[in-house]
Amino acid sequence: MKTSNYLACPECDLLLHRTFPVAGEKVHCPRCNYLLHNPRANSIARTFSLSLTGLFLLFPANLLPIVGIKVLGNSHDGTLLSGSVTLFNEGMWGVAILVFLSSILFPVLNIVLALLISGHLYFNRANRYLSFWLRALKHIEEWAMLEVYLLGIIVACVKLAAMAELKFGLGLTAFVLLLLVTVMLSGSFDSTLFWQRIEQLNSHEKK
Amino acid sequence: MKKNNTALAQGLIRCHDCGCLNKIFSETNCSRCDSHLHQRLPYSFQRTLALLLSGFALYIPANLFPIMTVTQLGIGEPHTILGGIVALIHSDMLPIAMLVLVASILVPLLKLLGLSLLLLCVYFRWQVNAKRWTQMYRIISFVGRWSMLDIFMISILVSLVNLGGVAQVIAGSAATAFAAVVVLTMFAAKSFDPRLIWDAQDEA
Repeated sequence: MKTSNYLACPECDLLLHRTFPVAGEKVHCPRCNYLLHNPRANSIARTFSLSLTGLFLLFPANLLPIVGIKVLGNSHDGTLLSGSVTLFNEGMWGVAILVFLSSILFPVLNIVLALLISGHLYFNRANRYLSFWLRALKHIEEWAMLEVYLLGIIVACVKLAAMAELKFGLGLTAFVLLLLVTVMLSGSFDSTLFWQRIEQLNSHEKK
Repeated sequence: MKKNNTALAQGLIRCHDCGCLNKIFSETNCSRCDSHLHQRLPYSFQRTLALLLSGFALYIPANLFPIMTVTQLGIGEPHTILGGIVALIHSDMLPIAMLVLVASILVPLLKLLGLSLLLLCVYFRWQVNAKRWTQMYRIISFVGRWSMLDIFMISILVSLVNLGGVAQVIAGSAATAFAAVVVLTMFAAKSFDPRLIWDAQDEA
């Protein structure tokens, strides 16, 4: 029995014959309906270009002010980082670290790792860290929460609208674009294909 | 009836990280990505239970203690998560109040209860519609992150509304407890292995 002809559903462990769906054709587990395959056309090239775009957007999104307020002549701007810095200075270091990780570090790592992996695959370069990076990316993805942060910005702004004058900075535009790129990135990412290509590249290297 | 349609029954282990199938007992690490192989997530039941109990314990201070204090021109008092929602309703922001109610109170509570049900189902080998229960598990894993909404909102308010005597927002101790509930329940959902629901069914 050749194991590469089979696959198991990650959520119900049903053993299935491996199929090779074309782009756009979704394959669900017949028993628990888990989405087994969702191949995308040009997955590697698309992931590479999206993560490169993301890399450029990281700088304005993280450095430029996102929202500013003005109350009775006093104005104050906030960047992505300033929230965690203020919380840290107030002694709420647990929350500060959590906010820093999920709104800055993990989104950055998400983009950087996707760029590294797809770049190596796009240019057919083997690297012994490729499988480590891909494993790390799969674990990090869940903790990058830009979309939740955007909802947080919206709720905070609605709350503040009554008491202060708000101004939206260029950082907010960059942040929203970065969020869109990150969402498209996870949609373009075909793990099955990436693992196959890493295996091919690395076995080729060993010969 | 013996189930022989699962990978485990056929002597195969699926790698958690890359999905590659490995023959049981032949290797301890995946032949493709070198991560550790386990038939099921290790100590899935015990880990989920431990994380869940901690989550339940912290859910109490998260709701009882003040989550933030808003002062305007020196006037203001601390309020809890529920107090914040009531304040939003009083200032005619019902949609936002509903959003915060769902994300900060209902989602964490339903997550804690849902995961408890999943653990009970596995422990007592309840014969259930496993497909529907797996669906419930998927919903629990998906919605968890949205509870971070309140934490992000506080972080934004704290950094923006920092104008000394004019207006100031200070985070309260419930914020730490609430953040811990969100993280603990996310870890609990991650450490629960939905294949245990299927293993507990006598017939598949």
